[in-house]
Amino acid sequence: MYKRALGRLLDATLRLDTVVGRVYPDDFNPLYYTGGLANLFLTILVLSGIFLFFYYVPSFNDAYASVQFLTVNVPYGQIIRGIHRYAADGFIIVILLHFFRNWFTERFRFSRDEPWISGMMLLAFAGFIGVTGYILVWDQRSEALVAMTGNAASHVPLVGGWLRDALFGGAGLTDLLLPRILFLHVGPAVALYVFLWWHYTRIRAPKVWPPAVWTLFALGFILLLTGLVPVTSQPAASALQPPTGFAVDWLFLSPYWALRVLPPLVLVALGVVLVAYGLYIPYQLPETRAELGIKDSGVAQVLDANCTGCELCYYDCPYNAIVMVPSPNPGVTKAAQARKLRAVVLESRCVECGICVGACPFEALELPGYLQVDIQKKVLSACQS
Amino acid sequence: MSDRASAYTMWIVLLSALSFVCVLGMVWGELMNHHHVTAALIGVVLLAYSFILLLLRKGGFTGV
Repeated sequence: MYKRALGRLLDATLRLDTVVGRVYPDDFNPLYYTGGLANLFLTILVLSGIFLFFYYVPSFNDAYASVQFLTVNVPYGQIIRGIHRYAADGFIIVILLHFFRNWFTERFRFSRDEPWISGMMLLAFAGFIGVTGYILVWDQRSEALVAMTGNAASHVPLVGGWLRDALFGGAGLTDLLLPRILFLHVGPAVALYVFLWWHYTRIRAPKVWPPAVWTLFALGFILLLTGLVPVTSQPAASALQPPTGFAVDWLFLSPYWALRVLPPLVLVALGVVLVAYGLYIPYQLPETRAELGIKDSGVAQVLDANCTGCELCYYDCPYNAIVMVPSPNPGVTKAAQARKLRAVVLESRCVECGICVGACPFEALELPGYLQVDIQKKVLSACQS
Repeated sequence: MSDRASAYTMWIVLLSALSFVCVLGMVWGELMNHHHVTAALIGVVLLAYSFILLLLRKGGFTGV
Protein backbone atom coordinates (compact mmCIF):
# COMPACT_ATOMS: atom_id res chain seq x y z
CA MET A 1 0.00 0.00 0.00
CA TYR A 2 2.84 2.38 0.93
CA LYS A 3 4.59 1.53 -2.32
CA ARG A 4 1.42 2.15 -4.34
CA ALA A 5 0.87 5.50 -2.60
CA LEU A 6 4.50 6.41 -3.28
CA GLY A 7 3.98 5.57 -6.96
CA ARG A 8 0.96 7.88 -7.17
CA LEU A 9 2.82 10.65 -5.40
CA LEU A 10 5.70 10.22 -7.84
CA ASP A 11 3.25 10.62 -10.74
CA ALA A 12 1.77 13.74 -9.15
CA THR A 13 5.25 15.19 -8.55
CA LEU A 14 6.28 14.59 -12.15
CA ARG A 15 3.02 16.11 -13.40
CA LEU A 16 3.70 19.19 -11.27
CA ASP A 17 7.19 19.36 -12.78
CA THR A 18 5.64 19.34 -16.24
CA VAL A 19 3.15 22.09 -15.38
CA VAL A 20 5.87 24.33 -13.88
CA GLY A 21 8.12 23.42 -16.82
CA ARG A 22 5.62 25.08 -19.19
CA VAL A 23 6.40 28.43 -17.57
CA TYR A 24 10.04 27.97 -16.57
CA PRO A 25 12.80 26.35 -18.67
CA ASP A 26 14.40 23.28 -17.09
CA ASP A 27 17.38 25.14 -15.65
CA PHE A 28 15.05 27.74 -14.09
CA ASN A 29 12.49 25.27 -12.71
CA PRO A 30 12.23 26.15 -8.99
CA LEU A 31 11.30 22.59 -8.07
CA TYR A 32 14.82 21.50 -9.07
CA TYR A 33 16.38 24.11 -6.79
CA THR A 34 14.55 23.74 -3.48
CA GLY A 35 17.84 22.74 -1.81
CA GLY A 36 19.68 25.69 -3.34
CA LEU A 37 16.87 28.02 -2.26
CA ALA A 38 17.17 26.69 1.30
CA ASN A 39 20.86 27.55 1.16
CA LEU A 40 20.02 31.06 -0.08
CA PHE A 41 17.54 31.62 2.77
CA LEU A 42 20.05 30.26 5.28
CA THR A 43 22.67 32.74 4.04
CA ILE A 44 20.16 35.60 4.36
CA LEU A 45 19.31 34.39 7.88
CA VAL A 46 22.94 34.26 8.96
CA LEU A 47 23.80 37.72 7.56
CA SER A 48 20.69 39.41 8.98
CA GLY A 49 21.13 37.46 12.25
CA ILE A 50 24.66 38.82 12.71
CA PHE A 51 23.24 42.35 12.42
CA LEU A 52 20.47 41.62 14.97
CA PHE A 53 22.92 39.91 17.33
CA PHE A 54 24.88 43.12 17.89
CA TYR A 55 21.80 44.91 19.24
CA TYR A 56 20.23 42.12 21.29
CA VAL A 57 20.61 42.06 25.10
CA PRO A 58 19.72 38.64 26.59
CA SER A 59 18.26 39.64 29.95
CA PHE A 60 14.67 39.84 31.25
CA ASN A 61 14.86 43.58 31.78
CA ASP A 62 16.53 44.55 28.52
CA ALA A 63 15.64 41.94 25.90
CA TYR A 64 12.29 43.42 24.86
CA ALA A 65 13.63 46.98 25.04
CA SER A 66 16.65 46.07 22.89
CA VAL A 67 14.38 44.54 20.23
CA GLN A 68 12.14 47.62 20.34
CA PHE A 69 15.19 49.92 20.09
CA LEU A 70 16.40 47.95 17.08
CA THR A 71 12.96 48.10 15.48
CA VAL A 72 12.18 51.76 16.10
CA ASN A 73 15.47 53.64 16.48
CA VAL A 74 18.10 51.81 14.46
CA PRO A 75 18.09 52.90 10.79
CA TYR A 76 16.68 50.02 8.71
CA GLY A 77 16.52 47.92 11.91
CA GLN A 78 12.92 46.91 11.34
CA ILE A 79 13.69 46.08 7.71
CA ILE A 80 16.55 43.76 8.72
CA ARG A 81 14.36 42.21 11.42
CA GLY A 82 11.64 41.63 8.83
CA ILE A 83 14.14 40.10 6.41
CA HIS A 84 15.30 37.72 9.18
CA ARG A 85 11.71 36.81 10.05
CA TYR A 86 10.44 36.19 6.51
CA ALA A 87 13.64 34.44 5.40
CA ALA A 88 13.05 31.98 8.27
CA ASP A 89 9.57 31.24 6.89
CA GLY A 90 11.01 30.85 3.40
CA PHE A 91 13.70 28.52 4.76
CA ILE A 92 11.16 26.18 6.34
CA ILE A 93 8.87 26.24 3.28
CA VAL A 94 11.61 25.27 0.82
CA ILE A 95 13.03 22.65 3.20
CA LEU A 96 9.58 21.05 3.41
CA LEU A 97 9.21 21.20 -0.39
CA HIS A 98 12.68 19.64 -0.73
CA PHE A 99 11.74 16.95 1.81
CA PHE A 100 8.48 15.96 0.12
CA ARG A 101 9.92 16.11 -3.38
CA ASN A 102 12.83 13.84 -2.48
CA TRP A 103 10.52 11.52 -0.60
CA PHE A 104 8.05 11.17 -3.46
CA THR A 105 10.79 10.73 -6.07
CA GLU A 106 12.52 8.14 -3.85
CA ARG A 107 15.78 10.02 -3.66
CA PHE A 108 16.71 8.31 -0.44
CA ARG A 109 17.91 4.99 -1.78
CA PHE A 110 21.42 3.52 -1.50
CA SER A 111 24.08 6.20 -1.09
CA ARG A 112 21.41 8.87 -0.60
CA ASP A 113 20.42 7.63 2.83
CA GLU A 114 23.00 9.87 4.47
CA PRO A 115 21.82 13.05 2.67
CA TRP A 116 18.30 12.06 3.73
CA ILE A 117 19.22 11.64 7.39
CA SER A 118 21.29 14.84 7.47
CA GLY A 119 18.34 16.58 5.77
CA MET A 120 16.01 15.37 8.51
CA MET A 121 18.42 16.77 11.08
CA LEU A 122 18.47 20.08 9.19
CA LEU A 123 14.67 20.20 9.22
CA ALA A 124 14.44 19.38 12.94
CA PHE A 125 17.14 21.90 13.86
CA ALA A 126 15.56 24.60 11.67
CA GLY A 127 12.22 24.16 13.48
CA PHE A 128 13.92 24.31 16.87
CA ILE A 129 15.93 27.42 15.95
CA GLY A 130 12.72 29.11 14.78
CA VAL A 131 11.00 28.53 18.12
CA THR A 132 14.00 29.84 20.09
CA GLY A 133 13.93 32.93 17.85
CA TYR A 134 10.35 33.64 18.95
CA ILE A 135 11.37 33.30 22.62
CA LEU A 136 14.29 35.74 22.27
CA VAL A 137 11.93 38.67 21.57
CA TRP A 138 10.63 38.26 25.15
CA ASP A 139 7.10 39.48 24.53
CA GLN A 140 3.93 37.82 25.82
CA ARG A 141 4.15 35.14 23.14
CA SER A 142 7.69 34.29 24.30
CA GLU A 143 6.49 33.94 27.88
CA ALA A 144 3.68 31.63 26.79
CA LEU A 145 6.07 29.54 24.66
CA VAL A 146 8.45 29.10 27.60
CA ALA A 147 5.59 28.05 29.91
CA MET A 148 4.16 25.60 27.34
CA THR A 149 7.55 24.15 26.37
CA GLY A 150 8.58 23.75 30.02
CA ASN A 151 5.27 22.08 30.81
CA ALA A 152 5.54 19.69 27.84
CA ALA A 153 9.19 18.87 28.62
CA SER A 154 8.45 18.14 32.28
CA HIS A 155 5.86 15.54 31.15
CA VAL A 156 8.54 13.44 29.47
CA PRO A 157 9.12 10.37 31.67
CA LEU A 158 12.49 10.02 33.45
CA VAL A 159 14.35 12.87 31.72
CA GLY A 160 11.59 15.52 31.75
CA GLY A 161 12.98 17.64 34.59
CA TRP A 162 16.51 17.44 33.24
CA LEU A 163 15.31 18.40 29.76
CA ARG A 164 13.47 21.47 31.08
CA ASP A 165 16.49 22.53 33.14
CA ALA A 166 18.81 22.02 30.17
CA LEU A 167 16.60 24.21 27.99
CA PHE A 168 15.71 26.97 30.43
CA GLY A 169 18.24 26.71 33.26
CA GLY A 170 15.67 25.54 35.83
CA ALA A 171 11.98 25.58 36.69
CA GLY A 172 10.12 28.86 36.15
CA LEU A 173 11.81 31.97 34.78
CA THR A 174 15.48 32.04 35.75
CA ASP A 175 18.18 34.56 34.83
CA LEU A 176 19.81 31.81 32.80
CA LEU A 177 16.86 31.53 30.44
CA LEU A 178 17.52 34.16 27.78
CA PRO A 179 21.33 33.70 27.56
CA ARG A 180 20.66 29.97 27.21
CA ILE A 181 17.99 30.50 24.56
CA LEU A 182 20.34 32.85 22.68
CA PHE A 183 22.95 30.09 22.71
CA LEU A 184 20.32 27.55 21.61
CA HIS A 185 19.40 29.90 18.74
CA VAL A 186 22.94 30.59 17.51
CA GLY A 187 24.66 27.28 18.36
CA PRO A 188 22.34 25.01 16.35
CA ALA A 189 22.46 27.58 13.50
CA VAL A 190 26.20 26.90 13.33
CA ALA A 191 25.46 23.16 13.52
CA LEU A 192 23.30 23.56 10.39
CA TYR A 193 26.48 24.09 8.39
CA VAL A 194 27.96 20.86 9.78
CA PHE A 195 24.80 19.02 8.69
CA LEU A 196 24.98 20.77 5.30
CA TRP A 197 28.54 19.52 4.83
CA TRP A 198 27.33 16.01 5.67
CA HIS A 199 24.34 16.54 3.37
CA TYR A 200 26.54 17.36 0.38
CA THR A 201 29.34 14.86 0.96
CA ARG A 202 27.52 11.98 -0.71
CA ILE A 203 25.79 13.94 -3.47
CA ARG A 204 27.48 14.31 -6.82
CA ALA A 205 27.42 17.89 -8.13
CA PRO A 206 24.78 19.21 -5.71
CA LYS A 207 22.90 22.34 -6.78
CA VAL A 208 23.91 24.48 -3.82
CA TRP A 209 22.57 27.79 -5.16
CA PRO A 210 19.43 28.70 -7.14
CA PRO A 211 19.67 30.37 -10.56
CA ALA A 212 19.66 34.19 -10.69
CA VAL A 213 15.93 34.23 -11.53
CA TRP A 214 15.07 32.63 -8.22
CA THR A 215 17.71 34.44 -6.18
CA LEU A 216 16.19 37.74 -7.32
CA PHE A 217 12.65 36.45 -6.82
CA ALA A 218 13.33 35.23 -3.26
CA LEU A 219 15.11 38.43 -2.23
CA GLY A 220 12.42 40.55 -3.86
CA PHE A 221 9.57 38.67 -2.25
CA ILE A 222 11.15 38.92 1.22
CA LEU A 223 11.73 42.66 0.83
CA LEU A 224 8.21 43.21 -0.50
CA LEU A 225 6.73 41.37 2.51
CA THR A 226 9.03 43.26 4.87
CA GLY A 227 7.77 46.56 3.47
CA LEU A 228 4.09 45.65 3.26
CA VAL A 229 3.74 43.67 6.52
CA PRO A 230 6.32 45.11 8.98
CA VAL A 231 7.36 42.76 11.77
CA THR A 232 6.29 43.86 15.24
CA SER A 233 6.44 42.40 18.75
CA GLN A 234 3.47 41.60 20.96
CA PRO A 235 3.23 43.48 24.31
CA ALA A 236 6.21 42.94 26.62
CA ALA A 237 6.23 39.84 28.83
CA SER A 238 5.13 40.55 32.36
CA ALA A 239 5.08 38.28 35.41
CA LEU A 240 2.07 40.23 36.72
CA GLN A 241 0.04 39.77 33.55
CA PRO A 242 0.43 36.22 32.24
CA PRO A 243 -0.47 35.87 28.54
CA THR A 244 -3.84 34.36 27.69
CA GLY A 245 -3.19 33.78 23.99
CA PHE A 246 -0.83 34.64 21.13
CA ALA A 247 -0.65 34.90 17.35
CA VAL A 248 0.42 31.57 15.90
CA ASP A 249 3.05 31.32 13.17
CA TRP A 250 1.84 28.11 11.56
CA LEU A 251 5.22 27.20 10.15
CA PHE A 252 7.02 27.16 13.50
CA LEU A 253 4.45 27.22 16.26
CA SER A 254 1.73 24.81 15.11
CA PRO A 255 2.78 22.20 17.75
CA TYR A 256 1.87 24.79 20.39
CA TRP A 257 -1.55 25.20 18.83
CA ALA A 258 -1.88 21.39 18.93
CA LEU A 259 -1.46 21.57 22.73
CA ARG A 260 -5.03 22.89 22.80
CA VAL A 261 -6.30 19.49 21.75
CA LEU A 262 -3.51 17.08 22.70
CA PRO A 263 -2.03 16.36 26.14
CA PRO A 264 1.68 17.41 26.32
CA LEU A 265 2.96 13.84 26.64
CA VAL A 266 1.02 12.75 23.53
CA LEU A 267 2.39 15.70 21.58
CA VAL A 268 5.98 14.94 22.63
CA ALA A 269 5.47 11.26 21.75
CA LEU A 270 3.99 12.25 18.37
CA GLY A 271 7.00 14.46 17.67
CA VAL A 272 9.42 11.65 18.55
CA VAL A 273 7.48 9.18 16.35
CA LEU A 274 7.44 11.60 13.40
CA VAL A 275 11.20 12.25 13.60
CA ALA A 276 11.93 8.53 14.08
CA TYR A 277 9.74 7.66 11.08
CA GLY A 278 11.45 10.35 9.01
CA LEU A 279 14.83 8.77 9.78
CA TYR A 280 13.45 5.32 8.92
CA ILE A 281 12.05 6.28 5.49
CA PRO A 282 15.22 5.32 3.52
CA TYR A 283 15.05 1.81 4.96
CA GLN A 284 11.29 1.30 4.72
CA LEU A 285 11.37 -0.19 1.23
CA PRO A 286 13.57 -3.25 1.60
CA GLU A 287 14.36 -3.79 -2.10
CA THR A 288 17.92 -4.78 -2.74
CA ARG A 289 19.85 -3.77 -5.84
CA ALA A 290 19.21 -7.27 -7.27
CA GLU A 291 15.43 -6.94 -6.78
CA LEU A 292 15.54 -3.59 -8.55
CA GLY A 293 17.48 -5.14 -11.44
CA ILE A 294 20.64 -3.21 -10.61
CA LYS A 295 23.82 -5.25 -10.75
CA ASP A 296 25.97 -4.81 -7.66
CA SER A 297 29.17 -3.24 -8.96
CA GLY A 298 31.11 -3.56 -5.71
CA VAL A 299 33.40 -1.05 -4.03
CA ALA A 300 36.13 0.31 -6.34
CA GLN A 301 39.42 -1.58 -6.12
CA VAL A 302 42.89 -0.11 -6.68
CA LEU A 303 45.20 -2.27 -8.80
CA ASP A 304 48.35 -1.49 -6.86
CA ALA A 305 50.71 -2.54 -9.65
CA ASN A 306 49.30 0.08 -12.04
CA CYS A 307 48.75 3.01 -9.66
CA THR A 308 51.11 5.92 -10.44
CA GLY A 309 49.94 8.15 -7.59
CA CYS A 310 48.84 10.81 -10.11
CA GLU A 311 45.84 11.85 -7.93
CA LEU A 312 43.39 12.13 -10.86
CA CYS A 313 40.96 9.72 -9.17
CA TYR A 314 41.39 11.60 -5.89
CA TYR A 315 40.33 14.88 -7.52
CA ASP A 316 37.52 13.36 -9.57
CA CYS A 317 35.78 11.36 -6.82
CA PRO A 318 32.76 13.49 -5.79
CA TYR A 319 32.26 11.45 -2.64
CA ASN A 320 35.74 11.97 -1.15
CA ALA A 321 36.07 8.21 -1.15
CA ILE A 322 39.69 8.15 -2.36
CA VAL A 323 42.68 9.32 -0.36
CA MET A 324 46.31 9.42 -1.38
CA VAL A 325 48.82 7.85 1.00
CA PRO A 326 52.64 7.60 0.84
CA SER A 327 53.67 4.58 -1.19
CA PRO A 328 56.14 2.25 0.59
CA ASN A 329 57.18 0.64 -2.69
CA PRO A 330 57.12 1.45 -6.43
CA GLY A 331 54.44 0.05 -8.72
CA VAL A 332 55.04 -2.64 -11.30
CA THR A 333 54.30 -0.84 -14.56
CA LYS A 334 56.80 1.58 -16.03
CA ALA A 335 54.58 4.58 -15.29
CA ALA A 336 54.16 3.48 -11.67
CA GLN A 337 57.89 2.99 -11.00
CA ALA A 338 58.57 6.50 -9.70
CA ARG A 339 55.43 6.96 -7.66
CA LYS A 340 55.58 8.58 -4.25
CA LEU A 341 51.84 8.18 -3.45
CA ARG A 342 49.21 5.58 -4.11
CA ALA A 343 45.41 5.68 -4.05
CA VAL A 344 43.37 4.03 -1.32
CA VAL A 345 39.58 3.62 -1.53
CA LEU A 346 37.58 4.31 1.65
CA GLU A 347 34.96 1.57 1.43
CA SER A 348 32.47 3.36 3.69
CA ARG A 349 32.33 6.33 1.33
CA CYS A 350 32.46 4.58 -2.04
CA VAL A 351 29.09 4.54 -3.82
CA GLU A 352 30.35 2.24 -6.60
CA CYS A 353 29.68 4.84 -9.31
CA GLY A 354 32.77 4.09 -11.40
CA ILE A 355 33.83 7.72 -11.89
CA CYS A 356 37.33 6.90 -10.64
CA VAL A 357 37.61 4.12 -13.24
CA GLY A 358 36.96 6.68 -15.95
CA ALA A 359 39.35 9.17 -14.33
CA CYS A 360 42.31 6.78 -14.26
CA PRO A 361 44.37 6.70 -17.51
CA PHE A 362 46.56 3.89 -16.14
CA GLU A 363 43.86 1.23 -15.66
CA ALA A 364 44.59 1.19 -11.95
CA LEU A 365 40.98 1.14 -10.76
CA GLU A 366 38.23 -1.39 -11.28
CA LEU A 367 34.70 -2.08 -10.14
CA PRO A 368 34.66 -5.82 -9.38
CA GLY A 369 31.15 -6.21 -10.82
CA TYR A 370 32.01 -4.28 -13.98
CA LEU A 371 35.54 -5.17 -15.01
CA GLN A 372 36.90 -2.83 -17.66
CA VAL A 373 37.79 -5.69 -19.96
CA ASP A 374 34.19 -7.00 -19.85
CA ILE A 375 32.76 -3.54 -20.54
CA GLN A 376 35.16 -3.03 -23.47
CA LYS A 377 34.03 -6.38 -24.91
CA LYS A 378 30.37 -5.37 -24.59
CA VAL A 379 30.99 -1.98 -26.19
CA LEU A 380 32.92 -3.54 -29.04
CA SER A 381 30.28 -6.18 -29.69
CA ALA A 382 27.56 -3.51 -29.57
CA CYS A 383 29.52 -1.38 -32.06
CA GLN A 384 30.05 -4.35 -34.38
CA SER A 385 26.40 -5.37 -34.30
CA MET B 1 11.87 39.29 -34.90
CA SER B 2 9.08 36.71 -34.43
CA ASP B 3 5.67 37.61 -32.94
CA ARG B 4 6.58 35.60 -29.86
CA ALA B 5 9.84 37.50 -29.34
CA SER B 6 7.99 40.81 -29.93
CA ALA B 7 5.49 39.96 -27.19
CA TYR B 8 8.29 39.13 -24.77
CA THR B 9 10.07 42.36 -25.72
CA MET B 10 6.94 44.35 -24.93
CA TRP B 11 6.69 42.76 -21.48
CA ILE B 12 10.40 43.33 -20.83
CA VAL B 13 9.99 47.02 -21.71
CA LEU B 14 6.94 47.29 -19.44
CA LEU B 15 8.76 45.65 -16.52
CA SER B 16 11.78 47.89 -17.11
CA ALA B 17 9.50 50.95 -17.01
CA LEU B 18 7.90 49.66 -13.81
CA SER B 19 11.38 49.20 -12.30
CA PHE B 20 12.28 52.78 -13.22
CA VAL B 21 9.13 54.11 -11.55
CA CYS B 22 9.94 52.01 -8.46
CA VAL B 23 13.46 53.44 -8.33
CA LEU B 24 11.95 56.94 -8.31
CA GLY B 25 9.64 55.76 -5.52
CA MET B 26 12.65 54.44 -3.59
CA VAL B 27 14.32 57.84 -3.77
CA TRP B 28 11.09 59.44 -2.53
CA GLY B 29 10.81 56.88 0.28
CA GLU B 30 14.36 57.61 1.46
CA LEU B 31 13.86 61.38 1.29
CA MET B 32 10.63 61.11 3.31
CA ASN B 33 12.09 58.54 5.76
CA HIS B 34 9.49 55.95 4.71
CA HIS B 35 11.93 53.05 4.81
CA HIS B 36 9.14 50.50 4.46
CA VAL B 37 8.14 51.99 1.14
CA THR B 38 11.77 51.79 0.02
CA ALA B 39 12.04 48.15 1.10
CA ALA B 40 8.80 47.19 -0.64
CA LEU B 41 9.86 48.98 -3.84
CA ILE B 42 13.30 47.32 -3.81
CA GLY B 43 11.35 44.07 -3.54
CA VAL B 44 9.21 44.99 -6.55
CA VAL B 45 12.31 45.91 -8.58
CA LEU B 46 14.00 42.59 -7.75
CA LEU B 47 10.81 40.69 -8.65
CA ALA B 48 10.61 42.63 -11.92
CA TYR B 49 14.27 41.79 -12.66
CA SER B 50 13.60 38.10 -12.02
CA PHE B 51 10.74 38.16 -14.54
CA ILE B 52 12.85 40.15 -17.00
CA LEU B 53 15.54 37.43 -16.80
CA LEU B 54 12.89 34.80 -17.41
CA LEU B 55 11.41 36.67 -20.37
CA LEU B 56 14.84 37.30 -21.87
CA ARG B 57 15.39 33.57 -21.76
CA LYS B 58 11.97 32.59 -23.07
CA GLY B 59 12.22 35.15 -25.86
CA GLY B 60 15.50 33.57 -26.95
CA PHE B 61 17.57 36.70 -26.21
CA THR B 62 19.82 34.87 -23.73
CA GLY B 63 20.80 31.30 -22.84
CA VAL B 64 20.25 28.08 -24.70
